[in-house]
Amino acid sequence: MRIRFFALGLAISLAGGLFAADEKTDANATEWSPPRTAWGVPDLRGVWDFRTITPLERPARFGETASLTEDEASKFESQELSRRNKDRRVSDGISAQQDVRNAYNQFWWDYGSELTEDRRTSLVVVPSNGRIPALTPTAQARYGAIRAARARAPHGPEDRGVAERCILGFNAGPPYTPSAYNNNVHIFQTPGYAVLLIEMVNDARIVPLDGRPRLPEDIRLWRGDARGHFEGDTLVVESRNFTDRTSFRGSGPNMRLTERFTRVGPERIVYEYTVDDPESFTATWTAVIPMKRTDQPMFEYACHEGNYSMFTMLEGARAAEREGAVHTGSNLP
Amino acid sequence: MRKRLIPSPAAACSLGALVAFSLAVAPSAAWAQDYQAPLTPDGNPNLNGIWQAVGSAHWNIEGHSAEAGPVVEMGALGAIPGGLGIVEGGRIPYQEWALEKRNENRKNWLKLDPAVKCYMPGVPRATYMPFPLQIVQTPEHILIAYEFASASRVIYMNRPDFEAPADAWMGHSRGTWDGQTLVVDVTSNIPDTWFDSAGNFHTDALRVTERYTPTGPNHLTYEATIEDENVYTRPWKIRLPLYRRMEANMQLLEFKCVEFVEELMYGHLRKKKSE
Repeated sequence: MRIRFFALGLAISLAGGLFAADEKTDANATEWSPPRTAWGVPDLRGVWDFRTITPLERPARFGETASLTEDEASKFESQELSRRNKDRRVSDGISAQQDVRNAYNQFWWDYGSELTEDRRTSLVVVPSNGRIPALTPTAQARYGAIRAARARAPHGPEDRGVAERCILGFNAGPPYTPSAYNNNVHIFQTPGYAVLLIEMVNDARIVPLDGRPRLPEDIRLWRGDARGHFEGDTLVVESRNFTDRTSFRGSGPNMRLTERFTRVGPERIVYEYTVDDPESFTATWTAVIPMKRTDQPMFEYACHEGNYSMFTMLEGARAAEREGAVHTGSNLP
Repeated sequence: MRKRLIPSPAAACSLGALVAFSLAVAPSAAWAQDYQAPLTPDGNPNLNGIWQAVGSAHWNIEGHSAEAGPVVEMGALGAIPGGLGIVEGGRIPYQEWALEKRNENRKNWLKLDPAVKCYMPGVPRATYMPFPLQIVQTPEHILIAYEFASASRVIYMNRPDFEAPADAWMGHSRGTWDGQTLVVDVTSNIPDTWFDSAGNFHTDALRVTERYTPTGPNHLTYEATIEDENVYTRPWKIRLPLYRRMEANMQLLEFKCVEFVEELMYGHLRKKKSE
């Protein structure tokens, strides 16, 4: 049984890395044609690994640089791996506090070790600065409340993130975002359906491809209501009807999420998503994430069943209150 | 809102008495074997679709009378319906100690039943929870997605030597085709799941052999042989039909019940309003 780590929701916000591609990976750029299923659609089936250390947003130090040279990339990878190395101790020059926060040692982490093949400095490719557009005032207020709740000693389970409550995995979105571990999605296809099973919390997004109508607006789902179709060789999945408790980087319940899965080689899928949510973002934005085929099976991720950390965080908070302790900051490492 | 819970004395004695009188599961014409299922484009029997069990096996897989439910405020809506049972021969062949433990479980089921906490129900219980499930077939892998708790499992086809990487709530599933029956060997089950809300249990020695047989365009027969030498005197079987959900545009919704049990599990650890 896999062990669940608490406090990893923040892992996706690591500010470690890169920027937008000036030439994004494009399925049309290749002559290669994907294999077909027995009923004639592109075959995307299998387990796909979306690890990468290319960060979602471009770190400020890279400015307008959308992709790195080979030398720069190799230097960045080496620095990044060193920075993320959880086996560093005080004797390696880190603070005692950091040392304690490295309690989950390197054994547990699985960010991968490489940038995207095109050596991008961010997964975000639109806008061209590689940064998620500014939040609207509505979204700022909503996101601010979420962050304030997370920063304090938790009053109750709702103060912690959706991932720590084990409702959805921290990399499960939707959309999917590479993070600390379990960056795998198993794609199933059968006539009329595609299914996206993410390893984290075992969540299966079942995508009807038969052109059926959408759910009515008043039926809301944490992972959104997905409908799909093929455009050429690309599987396009459009999700709406998110709950008002689902928030991806500040998104709101009326986000329209479009995900595109294009198999560009025997071992590669290009995964691209666009967030269209004018209530929350001042512009639409798009990210591109490479996926690699893996022969490894996925594990069951029994998150809620092993969520001891929710008990201990709440017990700790109540104990601290009884003792009159002052909470000095985030619970997160 | 918190519900007042009171134990139901009627529950304990009526369930106990019923064990002695539980009914055999009678075969019926519904189990016809002459139906030929359509094939998938890959040439396997086509079990794709959204299916659901009907009945009260999720309360008690043995035959049982109707009885009051545990939550007073729920009244008739919270009462437990009776059921003929799905155990072949009527009762589970427990070893003596195990029957006592089952009866203890039953007395305290509301506290002990792992599904009350929204834990993954395991196999076979996930099959007959009162929620739909969806079968999605590929030649190498068959996914079963369950609405309850968003549980899911992958059945690895024709890989008898693929050992489980770890024990799991939903077990480790290896499948083969026996004619048009999907046979699934489910091993590496953790001991923490139950078979129902009546305390019926197993240990980590549990092995479940499932058989999914299409018996009509809109019916599957689900059978499972249950083995656990720690608990039972012999292997035993359950059998029930699964019905296709016929609604136009039927789809699984979410029953992510974690948020429904947070008050139950963590409510005592909330910051008090007065503080």
